[in-house]
Amino acid sequence: MSAAAGERVAITGLGAVSSAGLGADAFTRTIREGRSTTSPVRGFDARAFPHRYAGEVHDYRPRDWLDRINPDTWGRSSQFAASASRMAVQDAGLADDALARARAGSIMGTTSGESAVTERLVDEWHSGGLESLTPRSVDALPAGRIAAAVNTELRLDGEALTIATACSASNYALGYAYDLVAAGEADYMLAGGADSVNRWAHAGFYRLGALAEEVCRPFDVDRTGILTAEGGVALLLEPYERAVSRGARIYAEVLGYSVNCDAEHMVHPETSSIAACMRAAHRNAQVTPEQIDYICAHGTGTPTNDATEVAAVRQVFGSQPPPISSIKSMIGHTMGAASGFGALACCKALYEGFLPPTANLAQVDPALGPGVDPVPGRAREAKPRVVENHGFAFGGNNAITILGRPA
Amino acid sequence: MTSSATPIVTEEHRRQLREIIREILELEDDELTDTSLFIEDHEADSLLAIEILARIEQDLGVSIPQEELPEMVNFRSVHEVFARNLANNGQ
Amino acid sequence: MTTATTPETRERPLDGTVPTVAPLALTAAAAVTPAGLGLGALGAALDGNGPEANRATGEIDGEALPPRPTRAVPDLDFAELLGRKGLRNLDRTTRLALVACRLAVDAYPGRLGHDTGTVWGTTAGSVRSSSEYSRRTLTADPPYLVNPSLFPNTVMNCAAGQVAIRHQLHGVNATLAGGPLAGVQAVRYARNAVRQVQVERLLVGGVEELSAQGCWGWHRSGGLRPHAAVGEGAAVLVLEQEERARREGRPLLARVLAAEVGFAARGRLVPSLAAVVTRALRRSGLSAAEVTTVSFGATQRRGLDRAEERAVRRVLADREPERAVRVNTVVGECSAATGALQLAALLADWRRAGAAAGEVALVPALSADGSVGCLVVQASEGLSQVGDPQTGAASAAERSR
Repeated sequence: MSAAAGERVAITGLGAVSSAGLGADAFTRTIREGRSTTSPVRGFDARAFPHRYAGEVHDYRPRDWLDRINPDTWGRSSQFAASASRMAVQDAGLADDALARARAGSIMGTTSGESAVTERLVDEWHSGGLESLTPRSVDALPAGRIAAAVNTELRLDGEALTIATACSASNYALGYAYDLVAAGEADYMLAGGADSVNRWAHAGFYRLGALAEEVCRPFDVDRTGILTAEGGVALLLEPYERAVSRGARIYAEVLGYSVNCDAEHMVHPETSSIAACMRAAHRNAQVTPEQIDYICAHGTGTPTNDATEVAAVRQVFGSQPPPISSIKSMIGHTMGAASGFGALACCKALYEGFLPPTANLAQVDPALGPGVDPVPGRAREAKPRVVENHGFAFGGNNAITILGRPA
Repeated sequence: MTSSATPIVTEEHRRQLREIIREILELEDDELTDTSLFIEDHEADSLLAIEILARIEQDLGVSIPQEELPEMVNFRSVHEVFARNLANNGQ
Repeated sequence: MTTATTPETRERPLDGTVPTVAPLALTAAAAVTPAGLGLGALGAALDGNGPEANRATGEIDGEALPPRPTRAVPDLDFAELLGRKGLRNLDRTTRLALVACRLAVDAYPGRLGHDTGTVWGTTAGSVRSSSEYSRRTLTADPPYLVNPSLFPNTVMNCAAGQVAIRHQLHGVNATLAGGPLAGVQAVRYARNAVRQVQVERLLVGGVEELSAQGCWGWHRSGGLRPHAAVGEGAAVLVLEQEERARREGRPLLARVLAAEVGFAARGRLVPSLAAVVTRALRRSGLSAAEVTTVSFGATQRRGLDRAEERAVRRVLADREPERAVRVNTVVGECSAATGALQLAALLADWRRAGAAAGEVALVPALSADGSVGCLVVQASEGLSQVGDPQTGAASAAERSR
């Protein structure tokens, strides 16, 4: 535990709205099987795009999950976040009223906020001019609504904060929520993230040459890029000792985290800066590289990311790094929710005893060097004790969390 | 497509290519030579390189596969890649 | 116990279990507003002596503006302020943020160094950039003929990333989408980062650009009072550990004593904001009687303006503060820049009024979504010693005005 932190912090509830399933258990089953759940885009007309696949959530009906968030007035990302949070609270065995009475809040990460609302406004602008924007759409636009939706749905009166640090935002959220609980500023915090598939990111990533045609294959010699994806994820954090005393199921302990910035380039990751972030995370968690049993990679599946990430891992871990896999091979890149899904997979891996796999892997890229173990195919039975969860973002924003098996 | 001769890079093409590169790399006319290097001499990065490729597609209607980006290191090589793809595009 | 229980009456009262947090030192501040560059221009405008700030331009980039006043930052020579190279693809949000940072860094009596982070407030990034990019996918044929170099502008943390690149800030780099709460949230986030020893100091900023998309959004949503102006601006504050600032001889402009936040159930904004203000004062070790100044944030927001005033009045037991600062009257509605601008305006007002070290201000914030927050800020001795920096940036701004 870091010097500045106070109480130990446990993760006791998990929730997921994703293409891989609704709820942490369904999500985990998909991940363990190594099953890809990406599919042709339905959310917008993708016919004129050469690449038409994404990790959309198709079988989600908000009214099945939400009591207070009205899907007519709240955006898709807010609905995802609120639903996942409600699932996490149920998973933690907490009564609604008990949580609402406690000092509790939410920290949610996002890349593009309510991007589906943005595109609805753009459609209105395009067809009727800016004077035709509907108040309902305008009101749903602020990205801060994502955490506000969680607090509203669960009647929480603590902090509601949406962190928009792009694709590492959920790890930022998890780190901050950890600090708040450890410092005694809150009794419970929900940490996670949400994003929605949108046309403009699809076009932008395609134009950057970073979008895969149909299949995302991290670490593969033939990897061609990401698939954009969506979803919401939430983890419930509380003081470890209290979780023990209330007999809660403890998935994992948050051991520490670190964030830093390359300050080099908006879209290109930087090896030594990522390595520095890993070292700082290890220091903060008071672990050594030898103790890390598994790395849940950022692993987007672009040639540059995976090569840079593995090179950074080598700088820290040497020639025999721990197994490192990417769940983006199965669910695509859920952007601001991505490192939250990574953290959820880590919690389940620690609790159930397995290593999440990398799907769609035919041949590990030899250019990544020898000794890379991306856990190809299906999950591997194992008993990891300490795991590392990566999130890297636009703007050179790295965030790494370290989770441990409850002891 | 007929059996007509390979499309030729016109003087107008050449002028437009130069203009695109100058604008994207924010260069004065005399700063951009045939062999001055985008990255080493003009502080370009790969995002700007992709922008050059995108603008060529948009303004000149010639698609260049992204795999050929690494070849495009200076004006002369952009010219060569453009000429090759002008032929491939069959215009 | 019922769900309406307030924080003060809980079994584990916050104030009983959480110690007062070490204050943060505020050692530099800068603002880019419709009044011009710097705190001096902002202060003069708050006094009613500023330049004519109302600039209804009629249209922005070919899009007609709605029939309501707007307040734009005067034309700036960005090339002179920021250097010519690398500007071409930066949107206005990012440029305003960079200019504010340039001014703050020039004003900072020290070197920033690598152990500096930055925290930014936003609402939804540059709505103009994201919506124009999205619209391009409707008008272009094929739809992917978008400019790759503009793609980063569509991501909400673009300004924070560019600020880090320009000033080589390798520390924490957070963008908080809090809208009107973003200022309080950013200071609170910064306090945690300093407390966790992640960084030695942070540039804490907020930025919002005036755009046709944003103006119409405000106009159509009905969130502003009928004649309220939509504005733009950016402000940056340098926050650091107090002990270190004193040890290294940097004069403090002010100390941030508390940064508290909460969330109100529907219809409970006033009591929730009042509770958060009370808690902020208690954690500062101060009583409501010691407050001399309030820097309001919700001025001209329909409904929220009165809720803010009522909550403050409730805490101050109906006593009028000696000074009330309403920055929105000068800058217009600036969404996520409001919080940082409230702080900048507070400093500007204190400086012009010759406020004594030790004076205490509240900086409240509230959002229609339910978020409430409050800073407690105390004037320090450096306030009267330090003026706006006389730098190339400032003089360039003079010329461009």
